[in-house]
Amino acid sequence: MRGNIRQSGTPVLRGIAFFLREKKWLIFAILIGTVFYLAPTPEGLSREGHLVLVISVVAVVLFVTEPIPLPAVAFMIIVSQVLLLGRNSSDVAQSLMSDSVLFIIGSLMLAVAVVKQKLDKRLAYMIVRVSGTKTRNIAVGIAVVSGLLASVIGEHTVAAMMLPVALTLITLTSDDPKKVRNLAAVLLFSIAYGSSIAGIGTPSGGARNAIMVGYWKEFFYDPNDPNTAKFLVDYVKWVIVSYPVFLAQLPFVIIILFSTFKPEYKHLTRAVVKLRSQIEIEGPMQPSHFLTIGLFFITLLGWIFFSGTIGLGMIALMGGTAFMIFGLVRWEDLNSGVNWGVVWLYAAAISLGIEMKDTGAAMWLADSFLKVLPEFMETGTPLLAAISILTTLVTNTMSNGAAVAVLGPITLNLAHSTGASELVVGFVTAISSAFAYLTVIGTPACTIVYASGYLKTTDFLKVGYKMVIMSTIILLIFAALYWPMIGL
Amino acid sequence: MSREKQFQILVCIDGSESSYSGLRYAVRMGADHTADLTLLFVRPLDQGLGSGGLQMDIARENMLNWGHELPGMRALKRGRDMLVEMGFMEDSWKEQVVHTDVRGDKLGDNSIIYTNEDGAKITLEMMVSPSVERGILDEIEIGEYDITIIGMCSEEEMGTGKIKPSTTMAVVSQSPTPVLVARELEQEHGHFMCVDFSDKAIDAAVKDAKIAARCHCPVYLYSVAENEEELPIAQGIIAKAKAAIEDSGLQVAGDSVEIGHPVEKILEQGRKYSLIVMADTSVKGLRRFFQTSVAYEVLERAENSVMIVR
Repeated sequence: MRGNIRQSGTPVLRGIAFFLREKKWLIFAILIGTVFYLAPTPEGLSREGHLVLVISVVAVVLFVTEPIPLPAVAFMIIVSQVLLLGRNSSDVAQSLMSDSVLFIIGSLMLAVAVVKQKLDKRLAYMIVRVSGTKTRNIAVGIAVVSGLLASVIGEHTVAAMMLPVALTLITLTSDDPKKVRNLAAVLLFSIAYGSSIAGIGTPSGGARNAIMVGYWKEFFYDPNDPNTAKFLVDYVKWVIVSYPVFLAQLPFVIIILFSTFKPEYKHLTRAVVKLRSQIEIEGPMQPSHFLTIGLFFITLLGWIFFSGTIGLGMIALMGGTAFMIFGLVRWEDLNSGVNWGVVWLYAAAISLGIEMKDTGAAMWLADSFLKVLPEFMETGTPLLAAISILTTLVTNTMSNGAAVAVLGPITLNLAHSTGASELVVGFVTAISSAFAYLTVIGTPACTIVYASGYLKTTDFLKVGYKMVIMSTIILLIFAALYWPMIGL
Repeated sequence: MSREKQFQILVCIDGSESSYSGLRYAVRMGADHTADLTLLFVRPLDQGLGSGGLQMDIARENMLNWGHELPGMRALKRGRDMLVEMGFMEDSWKEQVVHTDVRGDKLGDNSIIYTNEDGAKITLEMMVSPSVERGILDEIEIGEYDITIIGMCSEEEMGTGKIKPSTTMAVVSQSPTPVLVARELEQEHGHFMCVDFSDKAIDAAVKDAKIAARCHCPVYLYSVAENEEELPIAQGIIAKAKAAIEDSGLQVAGDSVEIGHPVEKILEQGRKYSLIVMADTSVKGLRRFFQTSVAYEVLERAENSVMIVR
């Protein structure tokens, strides 16, 4: 038999081959960046804008393929701004810290603090007391509780708290995963999708919302022009616009889940009884539980009443700090529970987004996107549909916060070019970034429930496309009918 | 009590049926405790972006607090239960739990080592690594295994912890020792040892015959000539391989030579056997970017299990 060539053998060559194999996407990103860098600057784009696009393309390839640790991508963006764009390093450093980034830090601290209090057993007790033993009612209970919580606190917090509740019900029903495949899918997706659709309900529901609030203020608000005050979107305004979109989706989530995965058991009597007795062993609520609920409630009130004046981020930080002051969580727990590299990543992505706007790169991309759209999609609801689809495609390949950080400047400029409302387009972008139902990495809640081991990657596709269609239609209906009624 | 170095088998468990069929084959290879078994599940380190910046450890700890097991531990315990059912292991074996701290991951590496009074050893190991591929290759290097078995799970089975086909291919191409890629491995149909015209193929045939002897599997030698002129060379190499195996005190159950395209012929004939076995005389290093080899093409396209022998 031919076709067999002897091993090349030398350690150096094998080392190079290993590096090439491990880092092929890094090499691809550098190559594509070099090609873009050397290419002539397109008409209508400044050289600076061209360079920002080079950085953005390389960063997006690295975000999606992850050949290097993600914080390293953040640092590459930061360094590139100084080396390629010639920015002053202190200016770049300043652009990294905004209220949106403080919000991300604060909400992650709150997430760790809340999960550590073990309130999940109380939530489980509440769900099974209200829902009874019917599988459908339990799934509704899980989705509603997940949704209500995730609309005010990060969906990762809710998923981490609710996952053991669902797993307990699943394992108490049967030890054999094959016998509870569909039941597991329904309960776990009730958590993941219940949280995902709710994350858009309030500004504190996710980093993407805070990023969009920051972009509106950064791009359009002028303290000397009272007409631009509408771009200071506070907590209540966001809730009025977005919360109904979440509530409208909730019943459809259950319908879609039950029509896609038909649970093997209609009643979970045995599991619910066992779960109740497990929870009752825990005894009454502890003072720390009341304190946790109290502190969180105060933080929520702070967001509602003061976020317009002192910012979402500042209140989130105050909430996180209060948990430490009252001894409910240690700094060591926060330090190890938060992935600080992600904070850097969001900070760098937001900073790059601002560069895209300042250098005209975002406007050029928006105009280019407009040119490829059919004429009938250049205005009104079809334009919003195009933006929603674009955002959905991007958010399924990277985190939704990063998707909004990268796409926000483009879609907001698109609004400017087409005469559409920047607020409407911003809301469509932020809300559509939650439609990451198709992949495991799309949303934090999906990633966390996937870690349970009961779901397959194909399950996300099987049910996810129905969710995307449902969510997009509901969003467009609200954009066309409800938002004009409330003066948006 | 000192023991001679046992035959070491590494079975990569990912919860798929293929990985458990590989485990059954490992039991057959190590019958009468003539081999130590390690069942390995590799959990990749989290980057944190997927979970929105909240470390996955927080969710995992919460699961553990409720008394749930991590998916990897469930998969490994199912493997252990199978070993007990097959009579390869008994509940009376001594159990030792070993934990190793891993920087960047609170749960770290965890192993349960079971030993019987004769010193036979079975290890369940849940390892954390930057990637599944890196973890398996590191374990192969550290554990000095004689053979590694990996299940090739189907697309439909893909889920948490399942080993991706690309990972399997990467391990096969970089492992210094033989790797058996199990696809619903049936045990009764013998080894289909494909011998090419290289010197390495003779050594590989002997090595395979020794592995096959462990599980009392018949070995069939096979070679393909691309044309009439190559036929005598193919016949010669088969005779050489057969003699080398018999010199080692082992038997060959049959042999044959055909004319045709090597990959197509091997795939066509090989599907009747438990395993297609091929020597790793493949292209390596930079050349793999430009050329492929018969062994790797067979590995990618075969519907049954394939072993690459080094």
